[in-house]
Amino acid sequence: MSRIHLSRRTLLRGMAGGAAVSLALPPLEAMLGVNGARADSGEDEPIFGIFFWGNGTPWHAEHGNIQGQGGHPDLWTPATTGPGYTPSELLMPLAAHPVSVVTGLEPKTEVPSQPPGQGAGHMRGFMVSMTSDRVRTEGFDHPSHTLSARRPTLDQYVAKHDDFYGSDVPRFRSLVMGVSKARFHNYGHWKAISYNGPESLNQPVMEPQALYEMLFDVPADTTQVERRAQLLDAVLDNAHDLRARLGAADRARLDEHLAHVDEIQRRLELSLTACDDPGAPEDSEDLIAKTELMAQLLARGLLCGLTRVFSFMLTSPATTHRFTNLGVPNGMHKVCHDGHWQEIRDITEYHMQAFARFLDVMQDTVDPTGASLLDRMLVYGTSEYGEGYKHSMRELPVLFAGRACGAINPGVHERHPRGNLSVAHVTLLRALGIPTESYGFSGAETSDQFSDILA
Amino acid sequence: MGVNVSEHGRRAGASSILLLALTGCYVGIGEAPSGDIADSDAIEDEADGSETDGDETDGDGESPLVIDPGPAVLPRLTTGQYRNSLEQILGPGLPVVALEPDTNPYLFYSIGATTTSLSELGTQQYEEAADEITQMIWDDADRRLALVGCEPMVPGDACAQGFIEDFGRRAYRRPLLPDELAVWQEVAAEMAASDAWEGLRLAVAGMLQSPQFLYRFELGEPDPEDPARLRYTSFEMASRLSFLLWNVTPDDTLLDAAQAGELLDAPSVRAHAERMLDDPRASAAIQAFFAQYLDLGRLDEVTRDVESYPMFTQTLPQSMRTEVQLLVDDFVFHRDVDIRGIFGTRNTFVNEELAALYEVDAPGASPTEFVPVELPADGPRAGLLTLGAFLTMNAHETEPSPTLRGKYVRERVMCQTIPAPPEDVDTTLPEDEGEAKTLRERLEQHVTDPLCAGCHSFIDPPGFLFENFDSIGAFRTVEPGGYPIDATGELDGESLANATELGPLLASSPVVGECMVTQLFRHAQGRLELPQEQDILTDLSERFAEDGYRFRELLLTLIVHESYRTLAPQEGA
Repeated sequence: MSRIHLSRRTLLRGMAGGAAVSLALPPLEAMLGVNGARADSGEDEPIFGIFFWGNGTPWHAEHGNIQGQGGHPDLWTPATTGPGYTPSELLMPLAAHPVSVVTGLEPKTEVPSQPPGQGAGHMRGFMVSMTSDRVRTEGFDHPSHTLSARRPTLDQYVAKHDDFYGSDVPRFRSLVMGVSKARFHNYGHWKAISYNGPESLNQPVMEPQALYEMLFDVPADTTQVERRAQLLDAVLDNAHDLRARLGAADRARLDEHLAHVDEIQRRLELSLTACDDPGAPEDSEDLIAKTELMAQLLARGLLCGLTRVFSFMLTSPATTHRFTNLGVPNGMHKVCHDGHWQEIRDITEYHMQAFARFLDVMQDTVDPTGASLLDRMLVYGTSEYGEGYKHSMRELPVLFAGRACGAINPGVHERHPRGNLSVAHVTLLRALGIPTESYGFSGAETSDQFSDILA
Repeated sequence: MGVNVSEHGRRAGASSILLLALTGCYVGIGEAPSGDIADSDAIEDEADGSETDGDETDGDGESPLVIDPGPAVLPRLTTGQYRNSLEQILGPGLPVVALEPDTNPYLFYSIGATTTSLSELGTQQYEEAADEITQMIWDDADRRLALVGCEPMVPGDACAQGFIEDFGRRAYRRPLLPDELAVWQEVAAEMAASDAWEGLRLAVAGMLQSPQFLYRFELGEPDPEDPARLRYTSFEMASRLSFLLWNVTPDDTLLDAAQAGELLDAPSVRAHAERMLDDPRASAAIQAFFAQYLDLGRLDEVTRDVESYPMFTQTLPQSMRTEVQLLVDDFVFHRDVDIRGIFGTRNTFVNEELAALYEVDAPGASPTEFVPVELPADGPRAGLLTLGAFLTMNAHETEPSPTLRGKYVRERVMCQTIPAPPEDVDTTLPEDEGEAKTLRERLEQHVTDPLCAGCHSFIDPPGFLFENFDSIGAFRTVEPGGYPIDATGELDGESLANATELGPLLASSPVVGECMVTQLFRHAQGRLELPQEQDILTDLSERFAEDGYRFRELLLTLIVHESYRTLAPQEGA
């Protein structure tokens, strides 16, 4: 684990060793440069986001020919391909933002036979749509639905990739947000969609108020903030000797914690430069209204340069959210399994309406030059499988919203029946300027891209 | 890659119990499908209260037990432990700070605490909490003086130095090492220039976000009795006792005992454990175990359509949870009797809305006041599985679920593992078409489909016993639509007329006792049992039976057990 130590830390370490070293510190600004807030630059730097919803789309024959409930129309796949396709019924809510869509995709990762159950849709499909890899065999337990990722999810892969931020890392490498509080289980990936690696999840910020405080509530007393940052040197120094006697897994956990401390220190230092305060937000239990509230805060943060990577979990994997507003009394996961197609259709439409509201906010947020945030963004919209009725991973939904500073052609439909989902990841990584010869793992490796969509 | 299960497999691997064929569904917790519910007399006859003295070498002439303990784990404090511990070392009345939520894989927060990594946001929340809480205390001159115990005049004076040493022992659960002490002394003396109070605040804030406080480093020391393994140090035992029995960092009494080396031998550990079990904090900690073992957290998620269920209120799930707590408290702490009895008893505790739900008279009950009642001997309810909590959390919004209820009996009460349904299976239950009228009749389709039958003929029959109870646990004799209910069922070959016949069976089953032992072991160790620990579980189960299945006694047996006081050396460390 590499840690970049500021020279101030070295000062304190010298002190801890017993030497009498002055703690007079160089001014933070001198050490930091001006990358705290930079609304005046960065128009050309892309923003990457993931918009995730649970339980896929309504089922239809293309999801597999053994469907017990065949005969339902495909309301997802547009009838035409290419630029200027006609949106399908379920993509209509997004029509105001010419999103590009790819249909027909599915995971191509191998499925180890032991422990059994690694092919299950909620798990395999999720891992592939978020990491291009299979689930992690170690610790996998299907009966209790315990699983972990083998590698970072795309948001974290991008946020920590040297070619994305380079040396100009903003205050937050990424923001991880969520809207619906319903959870299939109270542990693991059922609560969050963003992984740093095995057993390391980023729990989403779930409340507009918490997001507001995180982004905009900057302490007025800069001396105190400097001390807080400096205190972390002592925490880090003091913790180093703890590693020696730990087993490998626990050492990795501790190292990760210490790396976070490092990151928090950097963040504290950058918090000295404030963004314009958008004002404390309202709250709402309505998913679309809450999506809009969170999106507004996020948009202001993006505009201020607080981050360029985010993930946004509208509903969690296998969501049990009860869409009572749509007249659906039971949780969505059960509704899928019980085969209530019409209800799933309505819920999927609602999910897309929420996504549309999210994109509305990004579209309407313009920088001083008049350019829309959405033009800089690439928002990857996806779910954990094609449909929830039988957990089929065929026809896994993939959407690209925004233009990624011109790297993405909007309003294109590409159809690749039985196509490799990892091609979507190659495409988006290249669009973000991350050199990617190939992506995909454990049998899903590919160097293809969606050439009609990648400009 | 595929065979490398070593690290995780040892810590959380249940893979060995997952091998199953489609035809036979379950695999018991200890690999071999141990006892059916029916062979319940095996240990039963010995369970007449023969006294044991808690000495772990008491082998009664049987082949000596060889303890092969597992390696150390590194638990991070749960949110509850963090909050409790802050109150213990800083005093009560602290602001409620935001923290990363706990997770409970395999039911237990303690297992989540040893397997998951803290996120960046969680780390930031610790930093913010340390700052906010110390600021709040330091803003109150009386309060900070009460904490520090003396008035520091200049940075680094005797008052300041003494406080850091004392506070450090409380925060780190052991005396600070010289290097650690030096760092915090320097922080206090230098970082706030001439402000002695502020220097102390920074040292405290620093310790509160140190891994030494946030994680439990219990790594052991050489065991003079066995060079092949380690034993927990006296301070580490203080921590293990305190977090298990009180869910909080050790207090000064325990730390003093640890400092005196008292916690290295079984009788002394037992004496401390007994003292601690008499404290109300033990009741809360044991309740937390039962809430996790019985999966009561799921009650928090329960919602019901009030038009379909007019008796459902926002407070009802919490009332149900309180009822279980009172039952457990009664069995463990008030009467100290066979804990398996909670599954068969007709005695329970109700408030006003539970009395109405159960249709019993409960003089003195109010919305908040619970009173003991005896459920009628000819009534439909006997035992925990006929009470609101179980019946409600194992039901859907619109209809109950014999499958969920049967699954709970199998997994939670008997510790049997049931695999998830096969992939690509049609899970639709036929609506009211054809001959199938009731939910039960529709579910019985499971058993006609060979793909489903292997497991559902195992899961559903005990679940059918509860068909007389709707989604909030109210008694019913007909289903919506007027179809009469058939609540007969079966468990491992034993035909049962209804749920009241299941209760006594569970209440005398050794399987139920073994399951509790396994779950307590997982909770206490913060990990799944390892294959070589099967002997330890068997030994604990036998002692549990010998002690009449009294849970308080089981806790003491576990705590003084060699397996709880020793550990394997860490490979590669």
